[in-house]
Amino acid sequence: MAKESTNNLFDAAYSLFKRIGTSDFEYVYRGYFNHNITKKILILADKNIARVTGETQATLQKRIYYIMVEGLQNITHHQDEIANDRNFDKYPGIFAIQKSGDRYYITTGNIVANDKVGDLKSRLEVINSLDKDELKKYHREILAYGSISDKGGAGLGLIEMSRKSGNKLVYRFEQLDDEFTYFYLQTMLPSDVADEGNAGVVHSHCSMEGVMSLHKQMNKENLQLLFNGFFNQENLLSLLAIIKSRSNMPLTTIKISNVMVEMLQNIIKHGAKGINASVGVPGVFFLGQTGNETILTSGNIIQDDAAEMITKRLEFVNGMAKDELSDYYDDILLDFDSADAKRTGLGFTDLRIKSDRPLKYEFQQLDGGFKFYLLQTAVKTTK
Amino acid sequence: MEKLILEETEDTPEIILDPEEGKFKISKISVPENALDFYRPVLDWIKQYAEEPNIQTVFDFDLEYVNTASSKQIIQIILLLQKVSEKGDVRVNWYYESIDEDMRALGARYKKLVTVPFDLVEIE
Repeated sequence: MAKESTNNLFDAAYSLFKRIGTSDFEYVYRGYFNHNITKKILILADKNIARVTGETQATLQKRIYYIMVEGLQNITHHQDEIANDRNFDKYPGIFAIQKSGDRYYITTGNIVANDKVGDLKSRLEVINSLDKDELKKYHREILAYGSISDKGGAGLGLIEMSRKSGNKLVYRFEQLDDEFTYFYLQTMLPSDVADEGNAGVVHSHCSMEGVMSLHKQMNKENLQLLFNGFFNQENLLSLLAIIKSRSNMPLTTIKISNVMVEMLQNIIKHGAKGINASVGVPGVFFLGQTGNETILTSGNIIQDDAAEMITKRLEFVNGMAKDELSDYYDDILLDFDSADAKRTGLGFTDLRIKSDRPLKYEFQQLDGGFKFYLLQTAVKTTK
Repeated sequence: MEKLILEETEDTPEIILDPEEGKFKISKISVPENALDFYRPVLDWIKQYAEEPNIQTVFDFDLEYVNTASSKQIIQIILLLQKVSEKGDVRVNWYYESIDEDMRALGARYKKLVTVPFDLVEIE
């Protein structure tokens, strides 16, 4: 049993880390979607899929990409249709891409007006009732005779998602209030993976229920970004681009980005690589909002014996006043001789200076001479 | 002296070191994994330039993101510019967006640590 943590996000990070396989990942974005963010999310997802699928699965990669585009367009489409910022602040959209074993799960969630639910539901029922050839025919009919209705453009997109995945669409409707219902849509690929045996158990966190429960947790902790996979420079840049695209808080964006770069580069440089060394350092990263603070939480594997050194360095920066930290920063900046390994580096010092409060950290024991190292920083949010 | 031009990448800055045009500029983003390797040719170039610099050198930093690994290389550039100032006029401009406190703070830190004329320039 893992030791009790006093930090909900540390607990969440650790259990997310434990639940996925060594070549799996899950990336979730929750918030307002604009064209720019959509583009950056696609880049992040596609690059990671490319890393793990290999050339023989180029078709699969393309299909996943296509479905992600349709899904993201669905979110922005519904978002624009309702066109009221307050609703999105209250009920932000969600996009999740998960890889579990040979399978990929793409889940989107967004609000729809209650009076649109019936129409949407019947459309989905029709699509799911058709086999491959019927779907093709149905698709052609709609192309020839125009949209089934003028109530929205989602018809063709849904058909195409179903066709490309080769599987039925999974969906749920959850009424939120008198006006809105939350609409979840999930696609799984590829269609030719055997469904027997323990598949249901292994992939349970990717099931619709699994994603919905993750979404509820993200709502509760007000998490905007959840990254459970591999840290490498490429992913760091993709995450940076996503954060930069959230244009509503420019000042905070800069601060968050600076802190995130230090946190993640520290992991990339010092984290234990594990089994899939070539793809990066396995780990978890959250971005969340609590009151007027943005909370950044990371978790990654380290060698058992690294914990002591990390603790010493974190305690060192946590124990200093801001002006002492600043002097210390100058000191290391000008120290070109001493071997980097001996002193607390600029990274931790910089994090402590930029973080709103002392750096929180925790270790969880793993098997095989490793620990899971959790770190949390907070950046004051200013509009 | 041969100019040194490096185009910006996703994680490294655009670098223009062109004595003939009198343009010296490091701009955009600097968050490479290995800042040491990236800045080595830049430091070497300035070291050589310090031997026989222009009468006047205006060096502009106009950066958007800087990781700590880069910040350690940038101080070395500025210290080399201090050396350049032994043989010619040197002026360093550190541009920062008005909302970017962190970038201003980093510039202020450098300014404090060096003796070469160093201006913090706010841009909208």
